[in-house]
Amino acid sequence: MVPISLAKIFEQYPDRHYIMFGGKGGLGKTTFSAAAAYYLAKQGKKVLVFSVDPQASLSDIFKKDIFGKGPTEIMPNLYAQEIDADHRVREYQQEIRQKILDMYGMDKIPEEIESYIQAAAAEPAMEESAIFDEVVDIVVKGGYDYYIYDLVPLGHALYYLSMASVYDAWIGKITGLRQQMREYDQVAATIRRDKDLDEDAILNELLYIKDRINKSSSILTDKQKTAFFFVLTPEEMIINDTLKAAELFAKFDVPLSGYIVNRVLPSELKGQNIPEYLKHRLDMQDHYLKVIDEVFKDQIHAWVPEMERDVTGLEMIEKLSNTMFG
Amino acid sequence: MGEKEGKEKKKGGFFGAVKEFVYGVAAHDSARFALKSRASMEHLFILITMGDMLGVPILPPYYSLRLLPYVVPQISTWKRRMLREKDLTDALA
Repeated sequence: MVPISLAKIFEQYPDRHYIMFGGKGGLGKTTFSAAAAYYLAKQGKKVLVFSVDPQASLSDIFKKDIFGKGPTEIMPNLYAQEIDADHRVREYQQEIRQKILDMYGMDKIPEEIESYIQAAAAEPAMEESAIFDEVVDIVVKGGYDYYIYDLVPLGHALYYLSMASVYDAWIGKITGLRQQMREYDQVAATIRRDKDLDEDAILNELLYIKDRINKSSSILTDKQKTAFFFVLTPEEMIINDTLKAAELFAKFDVPLSGYIVNRVLPSELKGQNIPEYLKHRLDMQDHYLKVIDEVFKDQIHAWVPEMERDVTGLEMIEKLSNTMFG
Repeated sequence: MGEKEGKEKKKGGFFGAVKEFVYGVAAHDSARFALKSRASMEHLFILITMGDMLGVPILPPYYSLRLLPYVVPQISTWKRRMLREKDLTDALA
């Protein structure tokens, strides 16, 4: 039923170090992230699974409070991290304040500037940007064989992905303007025969920001190094939404590597004495499994059954990872 | 304005004065123009990076904060300039 298993995919493409699971909310992205991390760690790879979701649930699935604690060892080779965006924003604000105080020898931030710093932190995009920036830190720092992104639900993930390309274009424009300003400075300096021109600190900052954003967006769209898997379940709405999302993601050049079907009710149930209600569910599921098979064909890499209980704790993660990669 | 003194004092002073005279006649205006363009661009630049101070959100706030320290001194003149309406008296000023 599965043309190429997940285990084979990982074997075939050993250079894909950045693994992402995307899909609607509640379909099992975090679960699969954890299970994939478990599988790879058992194979002897050093793995970091981290969440870019402000409402992360890695702590729940590993039954360990890792929020804001940096990369935390869950078992040998397996590390997990949940980014505390608020904390990062607060630290960052403080950094900016200190920089202003140092640059101008002030002992207090002017009121106007202070209120701007506070207002900027309250912007809805601030949290996402902060996480985005920390992910760049994580990836640039290196030290792991695999990085598994536990992504946010689809709409947000799209926002996250588009942020990279929008930021990139925008920063490119203002860097251009800044460079033009620099040319005027040079003209004036040459005419007045000033020898030295101070370095443009703002231009340097802009180039730094551009570099950060480029790093992040280049990973998200690197077909050699990145694998993006969609998670779906055998239900009509989910199938439709996944198709739509896949189209959008392809527009952002996200390298789609395949689909994983989750929450498949075991078909053995049908032979047993089960209530009408469950029979209906099973018939409906059969129908949508066929649809999925026709629509996605050989791009399905695993059919994962509905578990008898919540997937939390290493024991259940192991069990799930066995069915996923088995 | 006061650099149009081509009077003979000493030899070195003479050449220095000529140099300043030539600069004043030929180049001073271009330099001033370059600096003036530069200043307008500076204001434009702050507008597109710090626009949210005037209620025009443009740059992602996380990164505009990074630039804030460099533009602190210009903020108040910039705000005044942006909020002021252009009129004829500007040309006279």
